[in-house]
Amino acid sequence: MAEVYEVTVWTRGVSMDKEGRDVVSALAKAADREGKFVQAFDNYEDLPDRVGVPVRKYARISDEEIVMRYNYENENPDVVVIVDAALVKGVNVLRGMKRGGVLVVNTNRSPEETLKFIPNKDTLGAIACVDADGIAGRATVDFSGTEGGVDASGLGAGIAAPLAGAVAKATGVVNLESLAAVVANREALKRGYEEVVVKTI
Amino acid sequence: MFKIPKEREVPFGGIVPAPVGENRMMVTSNWRTYRPVIDHEKCNMCLNCFLYCPDACWHEDEAGEKMVWNADYCKGCLICVSECTTEALSPAHELDFEAGVVRLEKLF
Repeated sequence: MAEVYEVTVWTRGVSMDKEGRDVVSALAKAADREGKFVQAFDNYEDLPDRVGVPVRKYARISDEEIVMRYNYENENPDVVVIVDAALVKGVNVLRGMKRGGVLVVNTNRSPEETLKFIPNKDTLGAIACVDADGIAGRATVDFSGTEGGVDASGLGAGIAAPLAGAVAKATGVVNLESLAAVVANREALKRGYEEVVVKTI
Repeated sequence: MFKIPKEREVPFGGIVPAPVGENRMMVTSNWRTYRPVIDHEKCNMCLNCFLYCPDACWHEDEAGEKMVWNADYCKGCLICVSECTTEALSPAHELDFEAGVVRLEKLF
């Protein structure tokens, strides 16, 4: 089976649910434009319908057709994106991560300060910190686009845009042009791409 | 014949064993982004935080002289901060503190 690039996003139920979903959707749609095979999904195992509960969103990107039947969780993510920085303190967000993986955190703190809260940082290849809250303002609390409904506010209208830009800069899995074609807030996307602080470990 | 289970033989909510004090199988400290911080100088023990907390995370200490916060179950809703009559409570970001959150390996 071909190598599948796995992206796991940690976000919070209801209040930042759309932002987490937008990150995986934007990355998957951008990679799709580049001719890759993609999947973007969440699952109900995470029980996302409670305000503030830690939940996950997933994306898979591959050069060949992705055959992972009945597996609704990324067991070994390459990239982990944290939409709310406080999550690094409460969960082992690096569980199952491949050696040399990348952690992208939405925080205005420095990478060193964020690493203090991660005891198992040896698996990390790099950490990227981007102040998405500062760039895009508040998280969009919006239910449009859930359960297959039409997404009225657009993909990446809030803090998802700078986070997707940061992932593109830190990993290079998609390029900025294809992201800009699918994301609503292009200005925030570009600023996230430019202002992200990447620290190699 | 079918045996009818007695008190505390049935799991609480059908999910976890019946908690006597705290339910250690449902620690919710990692739901929190901001935590309430108490200034004991300003606190006049009106007990509003105790009354309004949805998760019963505020209680008096044994001497009844000051309020004690339960860090393991506070979800950071900050209702106590808005209900505080003397502005003794204020929110602070969780990453400003070294400890206070139970780090879970898996959520469930």
